[in-house]
Amino acid sequence: MKGEGTFKKRFFVAVYAIIFILTVLVAFRFITIYFFGNPKAANPVIYDKYYVMISDNHQSGYWKSVYEGACEYGMEKNVFVEDLASSFSSELSKEELMRIAIASRVDGIIVSADDSEELTELINEANMQGIPVVTMYNDAPNSNRISYVGVDNYNIGKEYGRQAVNVARGIYAETQEDINVVVLVDQIPSSDQMMIYSSVQETFEADGLSSKLRLSMVKIDSTNAFSVEETIRDLFISDDIPAIIICLSELDTTCVYQAVIDYNKVGLISILGYYDSDSILQGISRNIINSTIKIDAVQMGQYCVDALVEYDNAGFTSQYFSVDFEVINSYNVATYMEETNEN
Amino acid sequence: MRTKYRDLPIQIKMTIVYVAISVVVLAVNLTLLLSINSVLKRLEMTYQDNLNLNEITLALDEVQNAMTEYLNVKTTDALENYYKSDENYRSKINDLESTVSSSIYTRMERNIKYMSEEYLTEVSQTIEAKRGRNVEKYRIGYEKATELYDYIGSYIASLNGQQFIENSQTFVLLSRDLRITENVSVFIMILVIITNILVILQYSSQITRPLKTLAISADEVAKGNFDIELTPAESKDEVGVVTSAFNQMVISIRDYIERIKESMENERRHKETELMMETHLKDAQIKYLQAQINPHFLFNSLNAGAQLAMMEEADRTYEYIQNMSEFFRYNLKKADSIITLREEIELVDHYIFIINVRFSGDVKFQKDIDEELIQASIPSMILQPIVENCVNHGIREMAGEGVITLKVFKIMDSICISIKDNGKGMTQETIDKLLNGTYRDDGLSMDSNGIGMDNVINRLRLFLGQDDIITITSEGENKGTEVRIYLPLGDGEV
Repeated sequence: MKGEGTFKKRFFVAVYAIIFILTVLVAFRFITIYFFGNPKAANPVIYDKYYVMISDNHQSGYWKSVYEGACEYGMEKNVFVEDLASSFSSELSKEELMRIAIASRVDGIIVSADDSEELTELINEANMQGIPVVTMYNDAPNSNRISYVGVDNYNIGKEYGRQAVNVARGIYAETQEDINVVVLVDQIPSSDQMMIYSSVQETFEADGLSSKLRLSMVKIDSTNAFSVEETIRDLFISDDIPAIIICLSELDTTCVYQAVIDYNKVGLISILGYYDSDSILQGISRNIINSTIKIDAVQMGQYCVDALVEYDNAGFTSQYFSVDFEVINSYNVATYMEETNEN
Repeated sequence: MRTKYRDLPIQIKMTIVYVAISVVVLAVNLTLLLSINSVLKRLEMTYQDNLNLNEITLALDEVQNAMTEYLNVKTTDALENYYKSDENYRSKINDLESTVSSSIYTRMERNIKYMSEEYLTEVSQTIEAKRGRNVEKYRIGYEKATELYDYIGSYIASLNGQQFIENSQTFVLLSRDLRITENVSVFIMILVIITNILVILQYSSQITRPLKTLAISADEVAKGNFDIELTPAESKDEVGVVTSAFNQMVISIRDYIERIKESMENERRHKETELMMETHLKDAQIKYLQAQINPHFLFNSLNAGAQLAMMEEADRTYEYIQNMSEFFRYNLKKADSIITLREEIELVDHYIFIINVRFSGDVKFQKDIDEELIQASIPSMILQPIVENCVNHGIREMAGEGVITLKVFKIMDSICISIKDNGKGMTQETIDKLLNGTYRDDGLSMDSNGIGMDNVINRLRLFLGQDDIITITSEGENKGTEVRIYLPLGDGEV
């Protein structure tokens, strides 16, 4: 009986050993197949529609936020929004990207337009080929775009005006001199920029201080990649350095902010900026930038997608979507910085 | 199933274990090979996308070149080239994805595909325009086509670049996987080998353990120890059969030894009884004899007889009774003690006198004695029984005058006592039996003093501590017998 017991024990030991080996093997197979699996093997999600977004500068934080807003919102609507420029290793112009989008037979185009004829033509061509186009931020008013998503530039101008007057009062109280206020615009100012400019001017005129304020436009050469920065620096080495600079883009704001530091003009030049990038918020918290306009970029992206989806479904959509904006200054900058950090 | 396995022959058991282990090792190897193979296959496929894209680029270049060549030279060959390249390119872009998915690669493929279709349409229209010699149209078409060609090219280049980056990352990952797979394989193989060794040890010990036990038992038995614990056979295989047979053998041997012991014991007991019987018988005989004659009473009576004969002046009777009295006195005094040869010879003299009276002077007794030697020591009652033997067996049964010669002389460094008769002699067989001590008297003859030849020989041998102190010679029937006793020349004689 003892021999029988030992035998049984040994038999089971052997059986367990074999089962153990086989388990290890199966586990090994499982691990090699599923853990080291080809990353491409993951099943991609298929979308119904394919929209592309063509922005002024796809690498800037502002446009990234717009794109992310559009992309995330699009996924909810079973639409994939592509930042077309990021697909290319080389830098392509908006027009080229438009042509590529048209040739690629996308289902919709979101473009930050301008008033140029070429872009207007391309928008019209896309429309002809049955591709709806939504303009954002800057409109192409003469084109056949189905909708425009942008900020209320009149109100932004008024806000800039109010900020500038506030700053000017302080300066005038000290110096009793005329105050130069400069608005940075493109080489060929867009209608939106013109709208902001005139709105600022209007605000100045409505104020009693208007005789002491000298408002002017400075055209920034944005034809090539680095000209913006150079042009802004030219401004600082000229004789007539403005006391207040109103920037209408993120890039302009960042460049002016850096130039003020580099040329040791902190406190002498007031900056009214645009967009709420980290460095701009930092500028405000360090009292180098007076204030900035924060446009709800995510909302802009969402409205663009909304317009296209609505057009696809119903065949029409609103001509104009207004995006919210807020003013950030030294009083409320801490809240925004916290938000950014949390994000 | 399990008990059946136990009873299988060893060869089949070993084969089963070997096959089982081989199957496990084979399975392990195959699995590891499959794993390594799948990783290698994926490794080979890593840059496949890039190769495909390169082919598409080449095909696209061919279309563009063919169009340009046709627009330049308008030859049939160029047109044919164009058609071929067009077809080739179409087949290539057909394989590209056309769905919109979350993967940037499939989206890029989709765009490349649609742009390529647009491009091919544009090229085909340009070629048509060229054939129709519509210069303006084909010039614009060429420009548009070239523009698209550039876009597609840069799109493919971007896709290629991005895929290359990702594929390189995949390649690094796969290389790492391969390395891990290798290491894990080695680890698993070692694990399997160790497990196999354990299993083999387990099974081989199961086979050899009974053999070892058997060997130990056999060794014990070989040393003569049969009181071993017998291990019962665990299985019915060859070892089991041998173990059973061995156990049976040990049991049989034990039985046999037990039986031999028993029979030896019986025999010993039997002999003991026999000896006891003999002793008791002798004891009884002595007691009987003692009861018959009280030597003191007999001696005193004889002395009284002698005095009576002397008073009646019967000299011969007196001498006879005197001799009788001396003879018994000797018996009374000297029994079982060491005496001198002289006293022994005196006893023989008394005896011969008595015998001659009884048998009317039939026995002639001659003595030739070296007087120097008669002081030698000798156990009592040695010579008289020998002489008595001569009288009873040698002379009494013969016709004519019996002569007994007693000689004591020195030979070498011994005293030789020779007693010789001229009676009927002895056979060699009787002599041998007497000397071996195997001669048995039927019983005490009525004329004997109770002491036999074997008693005499034994006492002499005990007294001298030697075996060769007595010789008996007879030259044949009716030629007499001579008994010689050799005593060493010792302190006893003068």
